[in-house]
Amino acid sequence: MFSLDLLFEALIFGVLLGCFYAAVSIGLSVSFGLLDVPHVAHPAIMVLGSYCTWLLATRSSLDPLLAGVLLMPAFFLVGVLVYRFYYETFERRGSDAAVRGLAFFFGLAFIIEVGLILFFGVDQRSVEASYIGKSFRFGDYRIPMRMLVAFAVALLLTFFLSLYLSRTFVGRAIKAVAQDEPALRLMGANPVRIKQWAFGIATGVSALAGAMLVIVSPVEPAMDRVYIGRTFCVVVLAGLGSMTGTLAAGLILGIAESVVMMLFGASWAPAVAFGLLLVVLGLRPQGLFGR
Amino acid sequence: MALSLEIRGLDAGYGAVRALHGVSLSIGEKETVALLGTNGNGKSTLMKCVMGMVRPSRGDIVLNLDGQAFDLKTLSTEAIVDLGVAMVPEGRRLFPRLTVEENLLLGAYRRASRRQLGRNLEFCYEAFPVLKERRRQLAGSMSGGQQQMLAIARALMSAPKLLLVDEPSVGLAPILVSHTITKIKELKEEYGLTVLMAEQNFHQAIRIADRGSIIVHGEIVFSGTVSELEKNELVKSYYLGT
Ligand SMILES: Nc1ncnc2c1ncn2[C@@H]1O[C@H](COP(=O)(O)OP(=O)(O)OP(=O)(O)O)[C@@H](O)[C@H]1O
Ligand SMILES: [Mg+2]
Repeated sequence: MFSLDLLFEALIFGVLLGCFYAAVSIGLSVSFGLLDVPHVAHPAIMVLGSYCTWLLATRSSLDPLLAGVLLMPAFFLVGVLVYRFYYETFERRGSDAAVRGLAFFFGLAFIIEVGLILFFGVDQRSVEASYIGKSFRFGDYRIPMRMLVAFAVALLLTFFLSLYLSRTFVGRAIKAVAQDEPALRLMGANPVRIKQWAFGIATGVSALAGAMLVIVSPVEPAMDRVYIGRTFCVVVLAGLGSMTGTLAAGLILGIAESVVMMLFGASWAPAVAFGLLLVVLGLRPQGLFGR
Repeated sequence: MALSLEIRGLDAGYGAVRALHGVSLSIGEKETVALLGTNGNGKSTLMKCVMGMVRPSRGDIVLNLDGQAFDLKTLSTEAIVDLGVAMVPEGRRLFPRLTVEENLLLGAYRRASRRQLGRNLEFCYEAFPVLKERRRQLAGSMSGGQQQMLAIARALMSAPKLLLVDEPSVGLAPILVSHTITKIKELKEEYGLTVLMAEQNFHQAIRIADRGSIIVHGEIVFSGTVSELEKNELVKSYYLGT
């Protein structure tokens, strides 16, 4: 049953799956990891991104990845508006903002889900492109081309987000804002504007992640539920707010799931995320790469 | 005069707590004014009013800059910082999970200071070599004295014209207090700063102050030059224990 070949195959698949997990989590790493916003609607917004990609790709026969990129500015705006609304109605009002915010974002996820069902129906949707369905040989292994899309999207998002956060003034303010808002004002930055901008970025990034999602597998309206647990797991595992940590945590989860699937079968896979989370938080409460 | 701060008849408080009663104070260009008072007398509240973090219920705070008058009561904290006012707040308020250098770079957030970022950073590292050695360390893991230096350096990174320092000596060993106060004096001369400093440590404060005001229960009870302060009965009973 067990062989080195199988293990190696599981590792390769795990790396690609891990990149996929990192790509679907990195937006949340900004909104929840850096801003402390309990954004449980993150996967729902991503699935919305998948459907918008599907619409653009089928109606105007755009390449789905390009469609995802083109959607980013619109999603950025949506993010800005959602944060503003959340801020005015919840965050601003007081101390239990996190708990009530949770209700807000569950509501948002529900509305998106229902909206998608009303608009698109409950059928699965998928996109087409020359590279979807193809695979290439890597030694003795066949690697599906679409998983390479996940690989590329994860690396690109991690690279650009880390660069933006560490090299720009606004990026550094985004890293600081949840730590001490009055102190950030004393630096001359408006915390609400900073958070609004950062939430816009997190949402814009989700459009591209959504495009990747629909390239990797068909989507359906309720699909976000599968990802709530895993995305939060990756972000917490990473140590809140670390982008390279998110990539690493995604990889760890992907490889662990893939190896567990090989050894014990697919039904064990969903347990891996939480098992991993319990072990890591027990040993290192600040997460693997947390400060 | 290119810069002056005029505070007139200021009343401020927190809900039912009244912390300031009719406070008036003025600071001229390149002056250093010490705000002296023991715990809970309203020093921090006055500074927060200047920074727009506490809104006074009465009175005026006017910053005159190159012939233009700005009513600070109506401006946001960010806008006041943009004018070139910086504060080293009580409790330092560093970003603990950012590195020393990230903290310093955030200090240079305001547009006018971004242009001279390199020069200011170099200057801060020269003034506080320990910050350079530890620039990759998390601010939260620095010692109290190092954090105080970082807080001062971070405020300087914004290239302020007016610097407010809230109790630089608090929590520091006597030798560090003296060192910190000396540093503020050097920095002030180097930058041509105007400084308002809240202090409980009378002897240290008057080492660098031109003038001082004593605040008791939210009221300024005495203002004068350093030599007038030293002779004052109130100061003697308050600080010198005679
Ligand atoms: N956030 C607040 N809410 C309510 N009351 C406050 C608040 N901050 C300060 N006060 C009250 O306002 C008064 C002045 O406080 P302030 O902090 O200005 O004093 P201080 O002179 O800076 O004292 P210290 O030397 O201890 O820092 C005190 O009576 C204090 O209890
Ligand atoms: Mg105080």
